[in-house]
Amino acid sequence: MTISYVMKRLIYLVFTALLVSLIVFSVTQLLPANAATMILGEYATDEALAVLNSKLGLDDPAIVQYFRWLSNVLQGDFGTSLRTSQPVGPTIMDALGRSAILAVTSLVLVCIVAIPLGVLAASRRGKPTDLGVSLVSYIGVSMPEFVLATLLLVWLASPSVGLFPASGYVPFSEDFWGGLHHIALPVLTLTIVLTAHISRMIRSEMADTLEMDFIRAGRLRGLSKRRVLFHHALRNSMLPAITVIALDVGYLIGGVIVVEEVFAFPGVGRQLILAIQNRDLPMIQAGALIMAGSYAVANLLADLAYGALDKRIKY
Amino acid sequence: MLSTMKTLRALMRSPQGAVGIVLVTLLLLISIFGPLLAPQDPESFNFGARFSPPSAEFLFGTDWFGRDLFSRILVGARSTVLLAILATVIGTASGALIGIFSGFVGGWVDELIMRTIDAIMAIPGLLLALMILTVLGSSSLNAVIAIGIAFAPGMARISRSTTLAVRELDYVSAARARGESKLWIIFAEILPNMVAPVIVEATIRVAFAIMTLATLSFLGLGAQPPSPEWGLMIAEAREHMFRSPWPILAPGISIALVAIAFNLLGDGLRDVLNPHSQE
Amino acid sequence: MKSQLNRRQLLKLSAAGAAVALTYGMPGMSMAAAKAGGTLKLSVNITPGVLNPMLARAAAEYMMSEMLYSGLTALGTDMTAQPDLATKWLSNDNATQWTFTLREGVKFSNGQELTSADVVASLNKLLDPQTGAPGRRNLGPIKTVEADGDYTVVVTTETPFADLPVALTYPTAKVVPADIIANDFDSLAQVPVGSGPFKLQDFRVDEIAVLVKNADYFVQGLPYLNRVEVKTFPDSAGSSAALLAGEIDMVHDVQSTDFARIDAAAGVSGLRTPSGRFLDVVMDTTVAPFDNVLVRQALSYCVDREAMIELVADGYGTAGNDSPINAAYRYHADAPHKSYDPKKAKELLAQAGYPDGLELELIASVKPGYRSTMAVVLREMAKAGGFDISVKTMDHSSYLDQVWKKGKFYVGFYNMMPTEGMSFNLLFTSGASWNETKWNNAEFDEYVRIADETTDPAKRTELYANAQSLMREQVPALIPCFFDILGAKADYVNGYVQHPRGASFAFHKIWMGSDAPKTS
Repeated sequence: MTISYVMKRLIYLVFTALLVSLIVFSVTQLLPANAATMILGEYATDEALAVLNSKLGLDDPAIVQYFRWLSNVLQGDFGTSLRTSQPVGPTIMDALGRSAILAVTSLVLVCIVAIPLGVLAASRRGKPTDLGVSLVSYIGVSMPEFVLATLLLVWLASPSVGLFPASGYVPFSEDFWGGLHHIALPVLTLTIVLTAHISRMIRSEMADTLEMDFIRAGRLRGLSKRRVLFHHALRNSMLPAITVIALDVGYLIGGVIVVEEVFAFPGVGRQLILAIQNRDLPMIQAGALIMAGSYAVANLLADLAYGALDKRIKY
Repeated sequence: MLSTMKTLRALMRSPQGAVGIVLVTLLLLISIFGPLLAPQDPESFNFGARFSPPSAEFLFGTDWFGRDLFSRILVGARSTVLLAILATVIGTASGALIGIFSGFVGGWVDELIMRTIDAIMAIPGLLLALMILTVLGSSSLNAVIAIGIAFAPGMARISRSTTLAVRELDYVSAARARGESKLWIIFAEILPNMVAPVIVEATIRVAFAIMTLATLSFLGLGAQPPSPEWGLMIAEAREHMFRSPWPILAPGISIALVAIAFNLLGDGLRDVLNPHSQE
Repeated sequence: MKSQLNRRQLLKLSAAGAAVALTYGMPGMSMAAAKAGGTLKLSVNITPGVLNPMLARAAAEYMMSEMLYSGLTALGTDMTAQPDLATKWLSNDNATQWTFTLREGVKFSNGQELTSADVVASLNKLLDPQTGAPGRRNLGPIKTVEADGDYTVVVTTETPFADLPVALTYPTAKVVPADIIANDFDSLAQVPVGSGPFKLQDFRVDEIAVLVKNADYFVQGLPYLNRVEVKTFPDSAGSSAALLAGEIDMVHDVQSTDFARIDAAAGVSGLRTPSGRFLDVVMDTTVAPFDNVLVRQALSYCVDREAMIELVADGYGTAGNDSPINAAYRYHADAPHKSYDPKKAKELLAQAGYPDGLELELIASVKPGYRSTMAVVLREMAKAGGFDISVKTMDHSSYLDQVWKKGKFYVGFYNMMPTEGMSFNLLFTSGASWNETKWNNAEFDEYVRIADETTDPAKRTELYANAQSLMREQVPALIPCFFDILGAKADYVNGYVQHPRGASFAFHKIWMGSDAPKTS
């Protein structure tokens, strides 16, 4: 892995982002109705629409609109939301921050829970523990986020139980416990779904690795079972697992969209759905770019991690 | 035919495969005959029996209009399961076509197609489907198309790599040297080699498709009310969730069961068809 | 127990039309016990986005502009015009010229004095098509607006217009400084300059708006509150939970499915006011099959109106009679409700030439959610009458662009209007701004036109009654039920009376009881 390789990947990343923005922009051009229709709502008259369209620059040719947007973005200006007339950049960054709280908390929890679970299942292959873990992860993998989220709501947020608030968000800076209280259910949903995915992955990779000669040799050499499991087998199994987890990031992002919608959590996903509903083009563009960017960055990081891990593993 | 029977027999020997194939067969039967089995009209209101818990008359209880949830689940299986399979077929077929074409032609065309596919894959599938549906308008069929489009890039990647691998094989090179037509090479040499990995991938995709379809209906972009599509049922029931949990539990558990069935079958198939596991 | 009593009293009062006494008629009465100070935390379900008062479109935005700005007149809960900036008004004999006398010494939040020049500039800006102000056509046939000295404004109309003072209560008809209109109108999107009871301190879309007391407000002793926080809770389960947990003091919109539960909880009470807000099923009367009045009548016999209220509004509504006017309006003409009679519907359909029934596609936007609920209920009810209606939902932008005012069969949703005339002229006359049904009935037009120009209440009652019965008979649109305005508040919040129109709020009259939680 060299500097030039990383540079190449970065250039490729920028290229992907550009292509994504072009694709998203093309799709938005096909959307029925535009922001002016939505801003004026039921008060739109042809006159008022024309006035607003020209004010917002929506009557320029699509190419002109795209390049105007692009050149502004290159200068760090993501434009003004057509729905709220607030600047898009700060709005989406705030939302991203909140989404990141969800995603990172979930990912940390997943690593704490899923990895030991997968290792445990693999080391007891075919035993009840393994079957139990497999069964639970099958259920987790097969439950769409919105179903799980809604079931959790009915169970834990119903007025008679009232353990957690049904929706919303409280900034941590305002009220730490309140904030924790509000992210509990969304995080729980994401954690359960992701744990199911990842523990399955680890289990199957570990099971294969444990069959390999060097592990058997390690056991024969008298290394403790735990040392073999966590030190040698897990590290080797992490390689393919990381790749899959990185690919899963796209899936995680989709999951975040749904979970934010169900819990009315003000993150990027919800912002994006609102933007699509309101034909808020600058916001759609920024949101899609952020999501595609996270995906690409996650993939890049996975590749780098892969390289790093690969070097250290020597037998 | 012989190989199909052999696969099936091997499948029945693995626990996952056996459970999977039994469940999926049962499901397909329900999808086809569900409307005949339903004890009540899934749309008719029972004014006096709104929000009933499960009972002998209403096995799964009733919803806010007093509609029989059991009948709705049975009838809804069709739109949920068959449409998911259709979406997968569309995604698989179009993806495979693109992938084979791209891999077979190679060169800058291949490069262009694959870079575009990379970019599309960087957009989360759900987001892509959401935008496509907003363009096309909400309906079950449009949701199927949207999922098909969202699935195609992944399939294209798989079939392209298979094509590339096959292309280098001796007998394909030989066929080329013989001057066989390109179409013939694709049909006779490349396609048969792709069947196994594509079927495994497609089966697991069906589970995804069911979940995505339900999610899109949940977001109001798929099935139209009063259709008993399971995702839509949950979306509508959310407003009443603190009055009665049954309108959410019944479709929620159904979706999970169906997805489990296809996941099991897919895993079973992978074990059977994957050359690595046939030691 | 106490909360129950409160609510019932309230209902009785507003039903009798006496609630006015509490809001506007006799302010002295409620002031006696009122106590200044405190913070009101309130939730809305759709964020206020547009701050420019002339461009406001939705309840939360109307709420903001009402707190930040003033208009010439304000709408009473009995749908009459009440003084705001204008203390009194007079018209000439045939109601074509209206003279408004302004309060003296009113200050804008930037310290400038508010005079007739500002009123003239504001009304003209509002009437200018280039402004694109919603409700521009709801102000009436205004010809000119002129100042007569610093404190008198004269409005002349093209035709006699008896409802002008009420029409000017329209929520976007707010007064802003003339020099801002001339130089920097767009700045109002960020920096409000008004003469309302509150001033803006902080505003974050989708999150919160913080308003503080305007110490210079022109009504002595008002507002009572030091501070109002308007928080956006997009999900109703979230806002009701927050109310019950004491995180907020008042919920502006409660969903009908949640209302009973919240009302039953201790320490909070549900607020419920019958309103003229309705869902209608719009039929384009110029195209088949709706050009045949028999088909429209057949459909109207397919609606079990009481059951509709139960299923669509959870019982929190009133039955409609295929006219947009109900008991919440001044000139409502009571008539027996149409009965559910699918047999008769079948006969009428057969007469209209559809003996084997009729297949139709009914379009419903997804916003608000009960549009599609009504569509599904209608589909089920109309089956027995020979109609096979399929329901198609659509996202709101696409609906506005492709279906609204263009489609032939869809579900419309309208808030209550301040006057009968406005409602008719908005939707059902030939010259209506939103002439969706293209009914264009000359007799109906005539009743509405004459009523607009008549000042005598007895004559107006008769004219509007004729107009309503014509709609009932001809059914240009199906109006099966009206929805109550539903909200909720903690018991320590006093002085708030829900407005049936849902677009006026009078937050400056709210005061917090001594049992309210202490706030900074």
